[in-house]
Amino acid sequence: MKFLKKQEDRHISILRKRWLKFKTLKRGYYSLITLSGLYGISFFLPMLINNRALVVQYEGEMYFPVFSGYIAGKTFGQDVPGEARYRVLKELFKMKNNGNWVLMPPYPYSPYEDITMEGNKMYEPPSTNHWLGTDNTGRDVFARLCYAFNISISFALILTVINYIFGILIGGSMGYFGGKFDLFFQRLIEIWSSLPMLFVIIIISSILKPSFLLLVGIYTMVNWIGMTYLMRAEFYREKAKDYVAAALSMGQSNFKVMFKHIFPNALVPVITYFPFSIVAGISALVGLDYLGFGLAPPTPSWGQMLDVGLQNVTKWWMVFSPVSAQFLTLLSIVFIGEGVREAFDPKVYSRLR
Amino acid sequence: MSDKSLVDIRNLSVSFPVYGGILSRKVAEVKAVDDISFTIGKSEIVGLVGESGCGKTTVGRALINILKYVAPDVEIGGEIIYHFDGEDIDFTKLSSRQMRKYRSRVQMIFQDPYASLNPRMTVSQIIEEPLKIHTDLSLKEREESVHSLLGKVGLRVDHAGRFPHEFSGGQRQRVGIARALATNPDLIICDEPVSALDVSIQAQVINLMMDIQKEFDVSFLFIAHDLSVVEHISDKIAVMYLGNLVEFGEAGQIYHHPRHPYSRALLSAVPVPDPKQKERERIVLKGDVPTPMNKPSGCSFRTRCPLAEQSCADNIPILETHASDHWVACPIVKNEGVK
Repeated sequence: MKFLKKQEDRHISILRKRWLKFKTLKRGYYSLITLSGLYGISFFLPMLINNRALVVQYEGEMYFPVFSGYIAGKTFGQDVPGEARYRVLKELFKMKNNGNWVLMPPYPYSPYEDITMEGNKMYEPPSTNHWLGTDNTGRDVFARLCYAFNISISFALILTVINYIFGILIGGSMGYFGGKFDLFFQRLIEIWSSLPMLFVIIIISSILKPSFLLLVGIYTMVNWIGMTYLMRAEFYREKAKDYVAAALSMGQSNFKVMFKHIFPNALVPVITYFPFSIVAGISALVGLDYLGFGLAPPTPSWGQMLDVGLQNVTKWWMVFSPVSAQFLTLLSIVFIGEGVREAFDPKVYSRLR
Repeated sequence: MSDKSLVDIRNLSVSFPVYGGILSRKVAEVKAVDDISFTIGKSEIVGLVGESGCGKTTVGRALINILKYVAPDVEIGGEIIYHFDGEDIDFTKLSSRQMRKYRSRVQMIFQDPYASLNPRMTVSQIIEEPLKIHTDLSLKEREESVHSLLGKVGLRVDHAGRFPHEFSGGQRQRVGIARALATNPDLIICDEPVSALDVSIQAQVINLMMDIQKEFDVSFLFIAHDLSVVEHISDKIAVMYLGNLVEFGEAGQIYHHPRHPYSRALLSAVPVPDPKQKERERIVLKGDVPTPMNKPSGCSFRTRCPLAEQSCADNIPILETHASDHWVACPIVKNEGVK
């Protein structure tokens, strides 16, 4: 086991060993670092990609529009209706050079500003200003791409976590308690899973105005079932082992036995299933957005960008951007999944090697 | 029965229903344990022997009252009366909440040391778990008692941070013993604790258990199929066949003068390392063990018994006193008289 370099590494838990193994699989490990790094950064997007200034110094006073939100243009002596135009303000202050200044985010375009804002044109090809051009309403494609990345991953993560909570609780209880409880939920799941869920989703989202949480809720309704099958089987197998009998005979409560003893031994499907669940979550959101039943526009989303891009195939940047963003994201998640699978492969731990 | 008894098992029956048909109705039942009664005295080692599938393990699991968790629809009859500090508690009548209070008094050592320790927990976590549940010792006190328990079972203190997969079978079984001892129980049920170990390790573990029995003054129910091990460790021996108790008595008495034809056959199969005894008669039983789903009428051993008579099919034999502290469930050998 060459990934266990140091002698003291021998006294480590199986899970830690698997993590060390995972780290040796470069593709998956670097994908995980990159993706989680980018996802972490994407929470600071309003400070990185935004048309609101980070700091405005005006007449001896400091303003922080990114954090404080809406500030009328009149505050800065700008003759515009509504909110201040910070990019214009920056040029203006630079020209006048009277001690006022504006600090813009590194990429000073917002995913929401369209041709109604100053200087934005439709179908602008990629340039140094708009790295990936603008779309059919003059919105910056790069900015939208980045915001959509955060939304997609968040959607998939929240979806997966909620599915896991339901799947593990219900599936685990089915496997652990067995008997009538198991029977009842099995029948319930059979009925539930035979509903044509895509139509249910389309019907619900055409009646209600789809929002992020509503979509998560709808998808959870469908997807918790997948996890229950796996957890039921795992708990069913593990509960017959003697260490569970030992825990029970020393008076441990059912809940503790389930989650302190059995669950750590039933983690393999939970972890190996995780990347694929994320892929499924991202694809689901893209699919719904593409069909127009997803997040309400102007929310930046890859599916909606793809839809618009395909209506304007000749504007290559509008198709290329969402497709390659999705491709790269999904590819690196699949790499992570591959690494996880490899790390959990028991063959490496067998004595034959 | 006597003042010194720790647990009286009275007419204990355990049966597992078998479901079948379209509507999953109960079509049969497996009588794993059928109307057995015996007593385990305070700080006494009782050996329970019999071939595989005769219900030994089920008796052990009934005594720590965990059958219902493993098989929720199990049917348990009879009484299992523990005498703790003058209190008489029938385990079969306790709810799981009431039961929790007494869990620390009866512990179990399992057959397979590979399956009985949670692979995700370190040795110290495994041993301190019963302490966490039943005592309110501080972290430091728990650590101290884990270390002293490790010393008592012959492990080193630096083993505490290791995981079960880093130990050999014998060492794991020692961890299992330490866990069973942690709450200072009155009775430890040893479910074939050495049958998964090498012979050389078996002797070490058996001797360790005997030392511990003396030191902690605890009773053992020692379940095994290896008769020489049982004879070495036990004060009393109970012999089971197909869910029935066929003979119960002092270890030496049963080992050297077995009365029931099944006990005789079982003991004649024990290899004796003595060339002079080469000519010893070996009783080889005919046929297979009948299924516990469809037991023979009357005496369940009659289909294979060399002494069987017509009358054996009629009545289920009951345990009868043959000598002091020696009960046998066979009317035929009773008439034979003491050899």
